[in-house]
Amino acid sequence: MHDTLAVFIEYGPQFLDGLAETIWLTLLGALCALAAAVVLQAAAASPWRPLRALVRLYTELILGLPILVLLYGIYFVAPSFGLRLSAVAAGILTLTLYYSPYMAEAIRAAIAAIPAGQVEAGNAIGFGWFAVARRIVLPQAAAIALPALVGLLIGLAKDTAILSIISVKELSYITKQVVSRTFMPFEVWAGVALIYWVCLTALEVAMRRLERHLTRHRRAVS
Amino acid sequence: MFKGDLFLEAIGPVASAALVTVQLTLAAGAISLLAGALAASAQVGGGFFGAFVSRAYVSLMRGTPLYVQLLVVYFGLAFAGLSGQAFLAAALAIGINSGAYSAEILRGAIAAIPPGQIEAAQAIGMSRWRIWQRVVLPQAFISSLPPLTAELTIVLKSTPLASVVAVTEMTYTGVLIQARNFSAIEVFAVVAVGYIALAQVLLRGSRSLERRFRLLRG
Repeated sequence: MHDTLAVFIEYGPQFLDGLAETIWLTLLGALCALAAAVVLQAAAASPWRPLRALVRLYTELILGLPILVLLYGIYFVAPSFGLRLSAVAAGILTLTLYYSPYMAEAIRAAIAAIPAGQVEAGNAIGFGWFAVARRIVLPQAAAIALPALVGLLIGLAKDTAILSIISVKELSYITKQVVSRTFMPFEVWAGVALIYWVCLTALEVAMRRLERHLTRHRRAVS
Repeated sequence: MFKGDLFLEAIGPVASAALVTVQLTLAAGAISLLAGALAASAQVGGGFFGAFVSRAYVSLMRGTPLYVQLLVVYFGLAFAGLSGQAFLAAALAIGINSGAYSAEILRGAIAAIPPGQIEAAQAIGMSRWRIWQRVVLPQAFISSLPPLTAELTIVLKSTPLASVVAVTEMTYTGVLIQARNFSAIEVFAVVAVGYIALAQVLLRGSRSLERRFRLLRG
């Protein structure tokens, strides 16, 4: 126990660097995936049939594929297309490609939950397309989509750990390095698990707060 | 660019590795069900202490990456004198992780059983254990069958992580072949098709299972 603590104190700066990288990867990955999800969702709603079919095919493919296979695929296949991806770029690309269909589905379901009559009413009182989206659809849809999106965000945060396999220097990668120097794999990995647990639980609590804030209108009525 | 012969060459080894993936999925699935049933029971009928332990288990499993859990289990086994047990470690880690999700599914199903049934069972003199075994658990299992099979699909999709501790399941076999032949596209195409096919088998199986149990429920 005492030795374990000593390891974490001695390699504290490295662990903090790794943690910062994990947080950064999570944020960037989530933003890219969300942006890609909006594009996917727009494409799925397009009037052009081949595009819709393509989105459906892509979604089915990703839903059936383990993220690790996608990661290996991108990392090993990209060079044979002449694409020299850095490990971080391959990691972000994997997170984006994997999580965007799930996020697109959450967004689609949330938008579909807004009664069409509200949009029509907005149009009737002279709201333009943008005003309807901004004032009526999005505030409600965001609150509906949030629980699913939070679940996906936490999943994405946890999946950044596998990026250590392709040597992205995040928390798990640093842990591997520390283990190779201290020869205390069990204790160090267990300690790092605790670090992940504290951070992810904090993330979840913060997101639940945000959710309560976004749904405050529901309580105000009832 | 895409070489047909390398693609065909990869099919044999990947197909035999698919057997390991299936074994791993089934072993982890069984552990998940067992852990989930235990945790759900503890949360519903285990008193204050049982509920606390169960809640902590679920929170820890959901709040840490499976990758880290796998390494903790792998080195934990080594720490306990069972070193080099990669398959066992992978099955345990994936199973215990998934067990937290199974527990939530089962807890929901148990909560949905009408209390009148339990009171009726008490009234005709069934013991607590008997009620659990004859009234609560069978119905909870049937009504949670669709989400549990969805969870099994997630287990299947978690098995590639076993490649981290060198279990030669489908993904690791793919990695090994492409390192030897420089045939990344061909090999990962085979591996991807393998997972999609296995997921389809699971989907079909779960649908027929659901149909069968729906008849039973009447």
